[in-house]
Amino acid sequence: MSHRTKFAAVVAGGLITALALSGCANPAASPGDADSDDETELRLGVVTQLSSFAPWEASWANQSPYLQAVYDTLLRTDADGTVVPGLATEWSWDDSRTALTLTLRDGVEFSDGTALTAQVAADNLTRFRDGTSENAAFLSGMTAAEAPDDTTLVVTLEAPDPALPVYLSQNAGLVGAPAMFDAEDAQTSPIGSGPYTLDAGESVVGSKYVFDANPDYWDAESVHYDEIEMTFYGDPTALMNAVKGGQVDAANTQSPTQGADAEAAGFTVQNYEQNWTGFLLSDRDGAVNEAIGDVRVRQAFNHALDREGLLEALAGGLGTTTTQVFSPNSAAYDAELDERYPYDPEKATELLADAGYPDGFTLVMPSNDFVPESEFAIYAEQLGAVGIDVEWESTGDDLFGRMLGGDWAAFSFVLQIDPTPWQTIQFSMLPESTWNVFQASDPEMLELAETVRASEGAEADAAAKALNEYIVEQAWYAPIYRPYSAFITNADTEAVVQSDNAVPYLWNITPAN
Amino acid sequence: MISFIIRRLIAGVLTVITICVFGFFLLYLGAHDIARRLVGSTADPEIVARKEIELGLDRPLLTRFVDWTGSALVGDLGRSWFSGQEVTDALATRLPVTLSLTLGATILTAVVGVLVGVLAASQRGTADRIIQVIIVVVSAVPGFLIALFLVFIFGLTLRIFPATGYIPFGTSVVGWLSTIALPVIALALGAIASVAQQVRGAMIDSLRLDYVRTLRSRGIPHGRVVYRHVLRNAAGPALSVLGLQVIVMFGGAVVVEQVFSLPGLGQAAVAATLQGDVPLVMGIIVSTALLVLVINLIVDLLQGVLNPKVRVS
Repeated sequence: MSHRTKFAAVVAGGLITALALSGCANPAASPGDADSDDETELRLGVVTQLSSFAPWEASWANQSPYLQAVYDTLLRTDADGTVVPGLATEWSWDDSRTALTLTLRDGVEFSDGTALTAQVAADNLTRFRDGTSENAAFLSGMTAAEAPDDTTLVVTLEAPDPALPVYLSQNAGLVGAPAMFDAEDAQTSPIGSGPYTLDAGESVVGSKYVFDANPDYWDAESVHYDEIEMTFYGDPTALMNAVKGGQVDAANTQSPTQGADAEAAGFTVQNYEQNWTGFLLSDRDGAVNEAIGDVRVRQAFNHALDREGLLEALAGGLGTTTTQVFSPNSAAYDAELDERYPYDPEKATELLADAGYPDGFTLVMPSNDFVPESEFAIYAEQLGAVGIDVEWESTGDDLFGRMLGGDWAAFSFVLQIDPTPWQTIQFSMLPESTWNVFQASDPEMLELAETVRASEGAEADAAAKALNEYIVEQAWYAPIYRPYSAFITNADTEAVVQSDNAVPYLWNITPAN
Repeated sequence: MISFIIRRLIAGVLTVITICVFGFFLLYLGAHDIARRLVGSTADPEIVARKEIELGLDRPLLTRFVDWTGSALVGDLGRSWFSGQEVTDALATRLPVTLSLTLGATILTAVVGVLVGVLAASQRGTADRIIQVIIVVVSAVPGFLIALFLVFIFGLTLRIFPATGYIPFGTSVVGWLSTIALPVIALALGAIASVAQQVRGAMIDSLRLDYVRTLRSRGIPHGRVVYRHVLRNAAGPALSVLGLQVIVMFGGAVVVEQVFSLPGLGQAAVAATLQGDVPLVMGIIVSTALLVLVINLIVDLLQGVLNPKVRVS
């Protein structure tokens, strides 16, 4: 054999090997395929790693599918946000609206065979309140969780909290078995009463979780698959490759612009809104920057922003411009308020002059490395055009600590929109709210907030709307738009998106037809 | 030979200890707000403080280091701060994936790199020039681009291999091969270029030596001269490059695992670093440092076998 023939042989050998290998590798047999045709399997792409299976450390939002697979919550919400029965079949407030009494189902068992009792549920609530979930504050106002009998649970609050039923439909309402309480492996070995059980042998912590249907589940109608495989995709490109390559049936996306790619791959795309992006004009007493303490300056800030242009430039038009921080699905929302601050640089300049800043003023705000540099440049350009000279201060890991510590009078951020007005108020408006970083207090707002908290029905709704109108007028924030989130499903899968949650609830993801 | 091994071992162990000490202190000193990153950006300061106490972040750094070292020496690397999983379990689960990748890529690099280098050196002329161009192009293209290109062509267009995901060897050998093939090629291409270049250079140098002319004048076939005599002389430098490339591939595995969504050490390293999960990052540092130590030792031993001068240098 000549050297050239040998060379050709080597090349041919390599190709034959590759072809043989590819012949073995039936692309239909991609990772995660069901073992047999009569088994239904859902391959769900998830964009956030699970932090913990321990209910008292549990997160929610993007992590809710992991947790809903193995646990029940005391209450549930429909896709439109209406609270419906979960482990509790009935619930009612006392006259002071500080004690919620729940009646639990009979005969519910955890996957280790122990029975669900009201005392176990009460212990879960106490552990959540005292735990390290990022949402532990949901229950910070709970003074007691008691079980007068096996099916009655009473949750007592120091002050009314109309959002409590919603919290009990999320991570605060997760119920784990008592065996988990002191277990060393509670974070990785869930014992719940949920529709599925974790197959630890097939799972890789932090990457892939496999769940098998629980044959004894009390709500069999909500179990649509024999097996669910949830795979974490940290990289947007990897997620879209999995979508195009047919390795997932349904997934949340990291950005709405991925929707077009998914549609091209034959997926159905559902857009919904769960955050608002814009500015928090927090220093309303002018402690760090005197100018921000003046409502006219804050209004000028709002008029300086070309919301339509920013939505197009920063999110490809995929979102809805807004001046409000309340969810469009909540009673506080008023569509007319979105017209309060049209893009009007001249008006902004006038307002600044009226406030005593005819030559403008300097505003220091934090920049960070998880938002493109161009975004800060566009903000600076628009604000600078009316006389607000922005100086961006680079930050790293210290961003949150300094931001929440009140280092900056104003800052740009993306914050969640919540199902109920009270949650939004609690999140960033009260003096004790985490995102009211200067603990600013406003008697008029507090009075309205108290009405929202302590009343119900039309009275609460009217107060929420009035409160929203007040803070828009006072320009506590400068929201720009609510970006779309996209949930995608292939032809074999259907999903109903969940109002104000990052992903659909697990029982609303079903096989097509 | 024994003293040579002992010397290398002592140097390696000292290196691993140094890496661990530096890694530990740099991780802590370079990270702010670890507890906040772990519990989430929306958590109240009170909950962040609770988490800090739970993790022992309120204790002096030196105390934490002494505790970690004491536990590590008896094989206890602690639990992941993020997921709560034992770090040793996380490593045991993820290491086989990364080892599959690097071992496959190493074998591919050794075989193809040597063959291409030998071909280029022995053929010269047009074949050599074509190979040179290919080597330069492959060396110039970043690994993640090669990975994306392979996914696009073989995973999404031709649909020969799965675009993402991993099937363990124990579940299905064919499945494992199908999921590992593209990542291995993506990881190996750059290394193949380096090894081929090294082999080609060493071979060309050796082919000019007097003993080759002598062998040829005796009528020994070209193939035997090249593969039995010249290649052995060129093997030393090639082996050194291969050893270095294996270490480089561990780094490259981080990117490749992200692109192909493989549950290996690289994927864990990225996530753990972003989350501030110090115990898991330290576990990955220790295991990677030990692996590099073993690889270097193997390369040194092979070099010593091939060239006795190395043992006394």
